[in-house]
Amino acid sequence: MATRANNKIRPIRRANVHKDASEFEPCWELLRDALTSIHTKNAGSLSFEQLYRASYKIVLRKKGDLLYDRVKDFEELWFSNHIMPRIAELVSNNLVSQALLKPPGTSAHERREMSQKFLRGIRDAWEDHNMSMNMIADILMYLDRTYTAESKKPSIFAATIGLFRNHILNNSLGSAATELNQDFIIFDILSAVSLDLINMERDGDIIDRNLLRNITSMLEDLYETDEEIAKQKLYLTVFEPQYIRNSKEFYNKECGKLLQESDASTWLRHTQRRLNEEQERCDTTLSILTTDKIANVVESELISAKLDDFLAMEGSGLRAMIDNNRLEDLSILYQLISRVDKSKTSLKTTLQSRVMELGLEIEQTLRNTDFSTPSAVGGLEGEEAAEGGDKSKVQTLSAAAQQTAAAIRWVDDVLQLKDKFDNLWKVCFNEDLVLQSAMTKSFSDFINRFNRSSEYVSLFIDDNLKRGIKGKTEAEVDVVLDKAIILLRHLQDRDMFERYYQKHLAKRLLHGKSEVHTEKDMVYRMKAEMGNHFTAKFEGMFKDMVVSSELTDKYRDHIRSLGDIGLSKTAELNINVLTTNYWPWDVMGRNSQEEGAKADCIYPPAIKRLQESFFKFYLKDRSGRVLTWVSSAGTADIKCVFPKIPGKETGSLSRERRYELNVSTYGMIVLMLFNDLAEGESLSFEEIQAKTNIPVSDLMRTMASISIAPKARVLVKDPPTKSIKATDTFSYNAHFMSKTIKIKAPTISSLSKVEGDEERKQTEKKNDQTRAHVIDAAIVRIMKQRKQLSHTQLTSEVITQLANRFKPEISLIKKRIEDLLVREYMERVEGEVSAYRYLA
Amino acid sequence: MAANGHQSNSPYVTLVSSDGLEFVVLREATSVSPTIRGMLRGQMIEARTGRCEFPEISGVILEKVVEYFHYWYKNQDKKDVPDMDIPVELCLQILDAADYLGLDSKPPLRQLKEGS
Repeated sequence: MATRANNKIRPIRRANVHKDASEFEPCWELLRDALTSIHTKNAGSLSFEQLYRASYKIVLRKKGDLLYDRVKDFEELWFSNHIMPRIAELVSNNLVSQALLKPPGTSAHERREMSQKFLRGIRDAWEDHNMSMNMIADILMYLDRTYTAESKKPSIFAATIGLFRNHILNNSLGSAATELNQDFIIFDILSAVSLDLINMERDGDIIDRNLLRNITSMLEDLYETDEEIAKQKLYLTVFEPQYIRNSKEFYNKECGKLLQESDASTWLRHTQRRLNEEQERCDTTLSILTTDKIANVVESELISAKLDDFLAMEGSGLRAMIDNNRLEDLSILYQLISRVDKSKTSLKTTLQSRVMELGLEIEQTLRNTDFSTPSAVGGLEGEEAAEGGDKSKVQTLSAAAQQTAAAIRWVDDVLQLKDKFDNLWKVCFNEDLVLQSAMTKSFSDFINRFNRSSEYVSLFIDDNLKRGIKGKTEAEVDVVLDKAIILLRHLQDRDMFERYYQKHLAKRLLHGKSEVHTEKDMVYRMKAEMGNHFTAKFEGMFKDMVVSSELTDKYRDHIRSLGDIGLSKTAELNINVLTTNYWPWDVMGRNSQEEGAKADCIYPPAIKRLQESFFKFYLKDRSGRVLTWVSSAGTADIKCVFPKIPGKETGSLSRERRYELNVSTYGMIVLMLFNDLAEGESLSFEEIQAKTNIPVSDLMRTMASISIAPKARVLVKDPPTKSIKATDTFSYNAHFMSKTIKIKAPTISSLSKVEGDEERKQTEKKNDQTRAHVIDAAIVRIMKQRKQLSHTQLTSEVITQLANRFKPEISLIKKRIEDLLVREYMERVEGEVSAYRYLA
Repeated sequence: MAANGHQSNSPYVTLVSSDGLEFVVLREATSVSPTIRGMLRGQMIEARTGRCEFPEISGVILEKVVEYFHYWYKNQDKKDVPDMDIPVELCLQILDAADYLGLDSKPPLRQLKEGS
């Protein structure tokens, strides 16, 4: 621009200026005096415009090079005459030997004072220099813009500010070098004392942070060369590497010390503090450029280096933190580990193994706990005993009740464990996904290792729906149901669970032991979790219940319209029509174990009539259907009258007593027998069996319920022992009395209790049969679609398809394949090792 | 640097031409000129008094310069701004002043960093 103005355009004003070529010297003199004033801090009376114009004119006259050199020379001279001596004074022998040789014996305080004095001197010199150079550069702005830029020289500022680097930092001033025979530059001392100060601060001393910050920003303003390349700040090229090295050493030592002298908890807090300190140090004392690098140092030296050693510490390591719920420790640990390891391997593995260990411990405790007394299982289970008999609080629980207690205990413990780790996960682990999946996997592992988990979960739900729900708010119910779903999620063999749940649900529905809407809620949740096919049977059961209730109403209307008073007077019928496929086998009375299960028991004539009447009614609209009476699943309310006992004038026995007795269908049949009996007569067990054709085992339970349990002892047994034998005889208990009008005969050994080992094997066997069919179906489905597959491919496809129902065993799949080969659903592909082709 | 200067803190500065005309301009508007920016930081007379004298720029030209300062200040962030009207007869002198005031180029990085 200036050139163009010079060559092409001659403003009038410039013409007369131009002819006086000797104007350089006066201008320079003006400038030189100004430079001196600036250095001596007397710039207040100078006119910027005048000085700027002076340099402007020199440049316009093409004397820029001369001006540039003059200024540089002036500054160098000034520097060596005025500044270097000041610094040289600071560099005492004492300081040099202190900084470089580090002789022992000087107190930190002494060292700190000396270091800070030195640094202060450097800083002051720098600030003067920097300020002067800025002002000078401003005056010579036009020079920089034109001449310097064109000649590709460093700007006047860079050239003069660099003097500080060349003549001070990279120089050994004073006589210390020769006297101590020590080869050094000021920079060495500067770094050494700065690092010393930082270490002092790390050890808890108070130092002048601002001073250090001034020094580091000086180093950030200076570059290796006058070109001022951004990456070559002296701070980055010289100071920072030394600082990092020094810090590494410091933290390495510190880590070793911590490992020896402290516990993991101290270590965590200390490390966290150090990280914060270093961050703060970068913000206030050094440079934010170093923040990440120094964090890396602390991370690698204090965290990564001995992580496993700290985690394994007895009594304070990770295990202790988990076991004692040291939430704060764990939070810090998580934060620290996330810094160094994104996959958090060490934390993950320990967590997993701890979950597994605690899970197996639950199982172990379960095995070792004696559930035979109510006290061992807590108050809740006390009710269990109460059911067995009022006065028998300390009496041993029945085997089934023990199992229920065990199941509930197991579920509770597992949920507790789960809660514990969920809590850790939420509070300490920032809801980390990696850790969540790891822990979930461990949970599934130990839950599925326990072979009764499916049954226990179902039992837990059963127990809660039957008893727990009462008196709870919706929200509390929700919590229980959610818990159940959580466990369900972990179960692998869902088909097993389905089987158990079906059985338990059937029992609950038929006996009206739970609230329907809660039941539906539960099933709805399962549906959401596992899909439609899983709950199809359950929903079918609900439907049956609804249809049945309508049917019952209609039947009643029907009877009333018939006006068959005799029929409606004898008994009211409450009917449940159950669709075969939805309901479990044993509830449906098709338990193959039971001998002669098919043979119907003999109903009393009154009941027989009722049945026939219902049959007629039912088949009127639905011809061709088959109804089977499932006598083992029903209950009956009997109104009974106990006449007053002659000779008793006082007490309840002196009056006539009316009770409503709720017994099983079998119980009702048996009691009806006694209606026909004359007073004083008795029936033997065998006689009853013969007259009723009730299966022996069912009859035993029935008799026990009405002749042993004190609450409902309407029959007297001879001999009066606590168990039923085939040789016992029974008679009407005329002395029966009860405080309540409505009496429920206790169900002895209800189906919803935990199975015995024998039964469980049965269930598993049945389950395996079902699985076989399911696998068959899956194989055929897959082959039909793919036509040809290798054995491995087929196996893995089957496993994927069935994943959300159960985990099929490889051997079972193999067996099914072989079976299908025999049945010619598919054939081996010739010439290929284990590949199959689908046969349509 | 500007912080330890004694310049008045007024948001306006006074520019004085060779023939004694005074222009009071928004300080921020003048900052487009690195030269004036340099004047107003630091500790010299201009910075202290907030008054910049230009003995080699005439009132006519300085008026145009000040007009440009405002023009720049108003339009610095806008797009598609109409050109400023410059009488042909003043072109050379304005060009000269612009060169002097450093209006020909973007401010160097160092000054940007330090500019207040």
